[in-house]
Amino acid sequence: MDSHNHHEEPFYRKYIWSTDHKIIGLQYGITSLIFLLIGFSLMMIMRWQLAYPESAVPLVGSIFGEDGMLLPEIYNSLGAMHGTIMIFLGIVPLAVGAFGNYFVPLQIGAPDMAFPKLNAASYWSYFVGGVVMMSSFFTAEGAARSGWTSYPPLADIEVGQTMWLIGMIFLITSSLLGSINIITTIIQLRAPGLTWMRMPFFVWAQFVTSFLLVLAFPPLEAAAVLQLMDRVVGTSFFLPSGLVVSGELLGVSGGGSPLLWQHLFWFLAHPEVYVLILPAMGIVGEVIANNTRKPLWGYNSLVFSVVFLGFMSFIVWAHHMFITGMGTAMSAFFQTTTMIISIPSVIILSAFFISLWGASIRFNTPMLFALAFLPMFGIGGLTGLPLGFAAADIYLHDTYYVIGHFHYVVAPGTIFGLFAGIYYWYPKITGRKMSELLGKLHFWPSLIFMNGVFMPMFIQGLAGVSRRLWDGGLEYAHASGVLHWNEFMSISAWLLGLAQLPFIFNIFYSLKRGEKVDKNPWGATTLEWTAPSPPLPHVNFEKIPEVHRVAYEYSVPGRKRDFTPQTEPKKG
Amino acid sequence: MVWIYTEEIVNNNIIKILILSSVMAFGFAGDIQGKITFDGKAPKMKSLRMDADPVCVANNEVAPRREWLILDENNGLKNVLVFVKESSAGSSLAGEFNLPENPAVIDQNGCIYVPHVLGVMVGQKLDILNSDGTLHNIHALPKVNKEFNNAMPRSKKRMTVQFDKSEAPFKVKCDVHPWMGAFIGVFDHPYFAVTGDDGSYVISGLEPGVYVIEAWHEKLGSQTANVTVGDSAANFTFTKPKKPKKK
Repeated sequence: MDSHNHHEEPFYRKYIWSTDHKIIGLQYGITSLIFLLIGFSLMMIMRWQLAYPESAVPLVGSIFGEDGMLLPEIYNSLGAMHGTIMIFLGIVPLAVGAFGNYFVPLQIGAPDMAFPKLNAASYWSYFVGGVVMMSSFFTAEGAARSGWTSYPPLADIEVGQTMWLIGMIFLITSSLLGSINIITTIIQLRAPGLTWMRMPFFVWAQFVTSFLLVLAFPPLEAAAVLQLMDRVVGTSFFLPSGLVVSGELLGVSGGGSPLLWQHLFWFLAHPEVYVLILPAMGIVGEVIANNTRKPLWGYNSLVFSVVFLGFMSFIVWAHHMFITGMGTAMSAFFQTTTMIISIPSVIILSAFFISLWGASIRFNTPMLFALAFLPMFGIGGLTGLPLGFAAADIYLHDTYYVIGHFHYVVAPGTIFGLFAGIYYWYPKITGRKMSELLGKLHFWPSLIFMNGVFMPMFIQGLAGVSRRLWDGGLEYAHASGVLHWNEFMSISAWLLGLAQLPFIFNIFYSLKRGEKVDKNPWGATTLEWTAPSPPLPHVNFEKIPEVHRVAYEYSVPGRKRDFTPQTEPKKG
Repeated sequence: MVWIYTEEIVNNNIIKILILSSVMAFGFAGDIQGKITFDGKAPKMKSLRMDADPVCVANNEVAPRREWLILDENNGLKNVLVFVKESSAGSSLAGEFNLPENPAVIDQNGCIYVPHVLGVMVGQKLDILNSDGTLHNIHALPKVNKEFNNAMPRSKKRMTVQFDKSEAPFKVKCDVHPWMGAFIGVFDHPYFAVTGDDGSYVISGLEPGVYVIEAWHEKLGSQTANVTVGDSAANFTFTKPKKPKKK
């Protein structure tokens, strides 16, 4: 093991073609944060069009033509690519690729991932997928414009979709390689003494997430290949017979099923929702336990809930398809499973809330983000219940209500969880803490403006405003009473963008100027805090740790310190 | 034909030669003209129902009628695209043709296309206007050239396109207002014309010779004829095609 430490690797081997899980985690983290910024920027441009329809977009308008106006087809492209980038290039790679890669081996006391080369292949496949996706903006056809869900027959015939599909094939391949790796690592490489029920909640969350990825993504990969064949070699997997487009009979063999795509897509995309949320829940669990200085309340219930949630997530997908006319028996089944899946989510959230009870809470920046996650995810989850009932969903489907609902889950929900993780683990990666002042300057405006962006969407959605209107509903009489919210939401979105500047600055500033800290600055119990900061290249720990305790022994009466690391042997 | 006497104006020999050449060229050029008529009982054109978009209704004092058969009192047929299809017997269509200085124009006005039938040259700019205060979608359906499908919101008053290859007339439609339709033919020469209100047309500037010309109508089909430049008028008569009997 020591021999690894002594030989100096060249720069490209150390930072570019690295097989060290920490470097790959950082590669994932940096790339995905850049993509999050790009995806967010697309949304800020779209929000101009929604607030001030048919006027020239300031600063970047010249890209869209001489009059600077965002035309509907470009708006559609930005919408489709916003969703694609945020989910497949931003959040999943950050939550699983970055956090999973960096901290799962550390939290289980492993020297690296089980398959380091596969790990590097996963990142580079993701990178190529990202490059393909982004380069589609510069092709003659432009980027995909059929929504992030890419429903056929539109997606089969609309321009820009081919590059999207090729990009998706790379991204899905990347996820499959990564998730296989995480599963194997957790099963095979746990430190001595780290039994399943001693694993940190974050590791459990990553474990279940990886199973979701590895089981749910292959159908979408197959579907992407089929749609690609429809577009490139003239098959009709998703094209029905007799399809008339723009008044003309489409010259295809037909016989395909557009509905099949929806099934294959949502068979991935609903578990994908839990892929987005579970790692964030895992992070929030770590941060709450650490900053309440109490064990997580109901650890066993949390673990069983997260596993049950993983299983259930495979049998709820068709609640996205109530308006396809699937029939009452099927609707009844899927709305029942949807109600059932809310139970483990409520257990997890309740356990987190109860963990706060009676605690002497440290309100540092990671904790603020973790605390904000709870009500924000709560709003996201609860507003999902009406969508789970077919009767209500038929009215609310494809309105801004849906946008508000899932953004509460993934924006002030997941992304706040991920922010909490960045602030919490930054000292482990760099040996320095991030600035608390800048952190709070990041947190408070973000919390306020997130709600400014998404809360009015419920109002607009309940009024029936469709989610896909490039002018925000200007042409529709029923929208006229709620359109004034568009300007409020857009200004909130731009201010939310401004609120990220302290965060970006903080990342760089704290690298050099952040408070230097020892290897366990938060007084935490889990294994990663027994490694040096940053952990040793390739091997992580000076010696493989031995685990003697459960994950969260905080404030145990009679002990000298208010935390007992997992590595501390039991007396007697 | 116009003869320009230039000797008193310029003395420079080179300029004289140039002008003489151009005058000679012009002198040899000729026209093909004629009239297109419709024979038979004309079906009544129904009014277009534009109720789906109140702006369209408001922009027309009287609801326009369907446009595929517009006749004058003498059965002159409007909106027939007449063009030189090929040359024969010693004449030639080969050569470089200058593009017109001004772009061709098609306007979305009153929720119909004006003009309804249009010819443009390869590489000629085509300005697409939106004079209506409403959202249109200009969707061209060529088979040879690149299809385009662009929204023109009410504030997007103009967009410019051009076609790279010659192509028989193809449809242009609006996906927002399904009654809207126009036809565009793209030519690699300037010898085409669309019949006016009285069904007449003139194709000017042809070298002497015999040409095959085609008269194309969106519903009534095409007819061709061999025509010698300067001869008597090349007239065509269209009739309504009979519906095939059901067996």
